[in-house]
Amino acid sequence: MSRTITIEPVTRIEGHARITLQLDDAGKVSDARFHLTQFRGFEKFCEGRPYREMPALTARTCGICPVSHLLASNKACDDLLSVGIPATAERLRRVMNLAQLVQSHALSFFHLSSPDLLLGWDSDPASRNIFGVMQGHPQLARDGIRLRQIGQQIIEMLGGKKIHPTWVVPGGVNEPLTAEKRDAMLALLPEGLEIAKESYAFFKTLVPKFHQEARHFGDLQTLFLSLITPEGDLEHYDGLIRITDAHGHILEDMVPPSEYQRLIGEAVEDFSYMKFPYYKPLGYPRGIYRVGPLARLNNAESCGTPYADVALAEFRTLQESGPISSSFHYHYARLVEIIFALEMMKRLLKDPQILDHRVRARARSNQNEGIGVAEAPRGTLIHHYRIDDEGLLTWMNLIIATGHNNLAMNASIRQVAEAYVDGANVQEGMLNRVEAVIRCYDPCLSCASHAFGQMPLQVDVADPTGRILATVRRG
Amino acid sequence: MLAPSDTPVRRALVIGYGSPIRGDDAIGPLVAERLERDGVPAGVTILARHILTADLVPDICAADLVIFIDATPDGEPGEIHCRPLAADPTTIAPMAHALDPRELLAWAAALYDHHPPAYLVSTPGHSFAFAHFGLSEPVAGAVEALAARVRGLIAEPPGIDGQPVVSNAFGDGSMTS
Repeated sequence: MSRTITIEPVTRIEGHARITLQLDDAGKVSDARFHLTQFRGFEKFCEGRPYREMPALTARTCGICPVSHLLASNKACDDLLSVGIPATAERLRRVMNLAQLVQSHALSFFHLSSPDLLLGWDSDPASRNIFGVMQGHPQLARDGIRLRQIGQQIIEMLGGKKIHPTWVVPGGVNEPLTAEKRDAMLALLPEGLEIAKESYAFFKTLVPKFHQEARHFGDLQTLFLSLITPEGDLEHYDGLIRITDAHGHILEDMVPPSEYQRLIGEAVEDFSYMKFPYYKPLGYPRGIYRVGPLARLNNAESCGTPYADVALAEFRTLQESGPISSSFHYHYARLVEIIFALEMMKRLLKDPQILDHRVRARARSNQNEGIGVAEAPRGTLIHHYRIDDEGLLTWMNLIIATGHNNLAMNASIRQVAEAYVDGANVQEGMLNRVEAVIRCYDPCLSCASHAFGQMPLQVDVADPTGRILATVRRG
Repeated sequence: MLAPSDTPVRRALVIGYGSPIRGDDAIGPLVAERLERDGVPAGVTILARHILTADLVPDICAADLVIFIDATPDGEPGEIHCRPLAADPTTIAPMAHALDPRELLAWAAALYDHHPPAYLVSTPGHSFAFAHFGLSEPVAGAVEALAARVRGLIAEPPGIDGQPVVSNAFGDGSMTS
């Protein structure tokens, strides 16, 4: 049965956001809200479509991390098939996931956040952008491009350059890796690792300058959620769910991802199209948690690769004790993860089994419900499908990495506003700090909305009666 | 900043871009696929991308000619447009995931001191609503003409001033045919 679903408003907007700051009688910030104003509707328009279309279709959710959706979707389809995929297929998928992590984290650090970090929060907004960075730090900009290129080249060597992604398929991958491609990928890694190590060393020297930002950019007492290996180490493709609290105590451990609904509730608010996931046992909104690089490093016992473990040990010294609590340190965590990804790809590709020809399990759908979970660059990504006996989607639930951080992003905006906003006297520097705290999370607002420079952003400042006292609009 | 190009094109880079699930926005990737399927001369690289990203900059710098293929929002669907592009840092993307081709050229100029002659070959879309790799009728009918325009640009190297020497279907040399 064919159906037509009309989606309005049709958006070619990418991440239009609005922030509302509420002031009390004394002119102090009493509330702050981050509004996501665009609507996508993937969970609705995928209904009625064959499950085998889902990997290709949901990969279009995002222009920058299609691999994450491709993998989570295929894992959900593996579950529908009730198959365990061949070990080599899993390793190949892991390589692809890590390659994407490198290119996505490189974009966030080198091109989106570097204008603030290198040029200053209060620098001239006309040049506080990537071209300003290129002028003052051209090698850093080139390094970011090169890391992105290395990640993209590995993805394309594995998956091809076609617009119809067909390499990762339900049951594994559809083509084994050749020795020639393996060698070509391995040849890229030393340069990438060198760039990553140098960038990390450079950023370490900058971190002490950002003491104030670390205090006010989302320094929150929240839980942390991520996948970990059965040994408790850093994990990005598979593994088990761990949730820790703000003091580092483990609340949930070794939970199969298929049980995510026992742990995660999803609230909605009328001011945003983004869901507000929360940790169910604590209720909403007390169950606030963070995902992504900061959470993954806080939750992991170790990375399991030499240089990344050295960097992880240094990361833990950013704070006297306990998990690293400031969202400002997402930047640091991303650099550690880039190092890890490059080291781990080398290890995976050096394993002779990576060339094994058994890379796909074949089956038809054997159950009507499937769940796939992987770590996207921004955090834990959940695809959950139900199908009918014809293999058509009857229901879909997606929890996107950025969504997990929604409560934390709102809390972070409030913290920044309380620290920097002076009543109705809204200054550009304040606006930039609000943007910057959002950028710490590297949010992907539905598809492809990152903010740098001139992010379309509106800040409304309202008095206790709701009257708008000031509006600053950009973009 | 524009690299002189008074010799035949040796390395051409063709990038068809757009979302395959947003109706006619898929025209860029689909034309790229058509070109790849039909075969292109040695030295021509064809890429299909969802969006334009910064990792393309080194590939752009290494080419003698770069051609972008895209859908545009305004105009008569199916009409073929071809215009030269220049680096323009003022097109800096408010959303950093997707870059304008002129911004990519500006990245190239800023970081590598040059960019090759560049063109945008496009057609206005009729519908950008959800469609899984599907085009509207007028735009689907333009696939071959767009591919032919790209082949023409590759075959006849652009002039040193960046203007295309190929004439359009009407023979008047304008950028829209």
